[in-house]
Amino acid sequence: MIEVQDLWFRYPESDYVLKGISLEVPRQSYVAILGENGAGKTTLVKHFNGLLKPTRGKVLVCGLDTREHSVASLARRVGLVFQNPDHQLFANTVYEEVAFALKNFGFPEEEVKRRVEAILAELELDRYRDRSPFLLSMGERKRVALASVLCYEPDVLVLDEPTTGQDHKQKEKLAELLQRLVDKGKTVVVVTHDVEFVADHIPISIILSRGQIRGQGKTLELLSNEDLLAETFLFPPQLTAILWKLSKLGLHPAPSVEEVVEAMLQARRQSP
Amino acid sequence: MRVFEGLYYVKRNTAMHRLDPRAKLVYVLCITILSTAVFHTALPMIMLFISVIPLAVEGRVLRRLLSTLRGGAMLAAFIFIFNFIGRLWNIGFVSPSSPEFLEALMPSLAMALRFLTLIATFSIFFLTTSPDDFAQALVQMRLPYDYALTFTMAMRFIPTLAREAQIVADAQKSRGLELEKGGFMQRIRNYIPILVPLIVSSFRRAETIADAMESRAFGASKKRSFLYMLRFKLSDTLFSAICIAITAAIIWLRLSSFLPP
Repeated sequence: MIEVQDLWFRYPESDYVLKGISLEVPRQSYVAILGENGAGKTTLVKHFNGLLKPTRGKVLVCGLDTREHSVASLARRVGLVFQNPDHQLFANTVYEEVAFALKNFGFPEEEVKRRVEAILAELELDRYRDRSPFLLSMGERKRVALASVLCYEPDVLVLDEPTTGQDHKQKEKLAELLQRLVDKGKTVVVVTHDVEFVADHIPISIILSRGQIRGQGKTLELLSNEDLLAETFLFPPQLTAILWKLSKLGLHPAPSVEEVVEAMLQARRQSP
Repeated sequence: MRVFEGLYYVKRNTAMHRLDPRAKLVYVLCITILSTAVFHTALPMIMLFISVIPLAVEGRVLRRLLSTLRGGAMLAAFIFIFNFIGRLWNIGFVSPSSPEFLEALMPSLAMALRFLTLIATFSIFFLTTSPDDFAQALVQMRLPYDYALTFTMAMRFIPTLAREAQIVADAQKSRGLELEKGGFMQRIRNYIPILVPLIVSSFRRAETIADAMESRAFGASKKRSFLYMLRFKLSDTLFSAICIAITAAIIWLRLSSFLPP
């Protein structure tokens, strides 16, 4: 679906931000891109819809070289939801905001209406339909921004830090929604440093640090690699941290909440 | 946006950078007076314009200055064209070989050159003066601190705003916005989805900054003390004195008609 081949990128008059990135995001996969602030995560995903073009190397989206296609044509296939909703909200009502992309892509009026209503209902935004997006809370604004991309059903959905400013309930709902999209055959890429969210929901991860890929593979394996996490300034998920502590006590429970609790109780019985 | 490059301070350690902002203001004022009130024709304008260059070289900001001028060249061309057309309109369109034609051409050229001279002068001032020093100079010249601060903050946020405009444009392009699409009016309308978020987020930020400043006791005491004070050194006095002396001499020569208008 997305193929990155030895991608190097730098902004004019600066050092390389991405240094030789190669990766593949297959169709219908669910991938997290993790990394510290300034690792190059956002710069990388801006290559996925052609906003940035490689300084060296190649990015292929559905087999199309991003250097040879416009952002508008690539954006139809790769939906990118930005980190800060305030960088895109501009319309008078939530309805118009969500309809913006659909109108840009030339959907017929009836279809626009049907899709907007459907996505607003799905994200529990229908009661704000005629309100100004600027008057909503941060979490709600973030959902409007998400809705405005989801509505045109791109094959690939890329979300930049979708969990910031969302309470636990909304995070769980987001996780459910993303899983539904994957089940429907979409490809989902989540850029984040919310390690807990990734550990709980996203099966595959790519760990980025200082413009280079430091690890890619199964999320739980990567996130239990102590050396890798220390090198890339990531904190392990709480459950992993507890497992490490327990293993120092000679206990090796399986990574599930129940087993860990059992082991902790056992450890307590052992101590005098 | 290139024009604004001439407003960013470039940190260097040169004599121009070390001069007190007030001394540099004297210089800016001298050139401003000479180019607007004293001279009106093209030749002296060119001389004034050239006189700015050694200072830019000394301050090692010549490249930045040139890129500012390239940005300003467009406006200068407009000034020239409109002036020229306006003058031709008044005298009636005449043949290019007639003296009237030249009489319309030269003052228009002078206007454009005056504009470039002023841009260059102000640009050198801002390129070699840190916004903090400039604000401090304004305060020490008895301008209320609030106004000085407003100015420094405005300068401070130009790059931030430029960066934000880029992000907003990227976000809207990702939703299928095509800036180059449509006729003239449509192209202007295409910018609405970029301008609205930019303006709204600027207001939001202004409010956040105001709150953050107040929670750090901004304006709590009437009389503020400053960590750094600017001191007018001997070199500053000398520089200002030379600027004033040369300017006075030029004005005297002009008044006694030794120099062209």
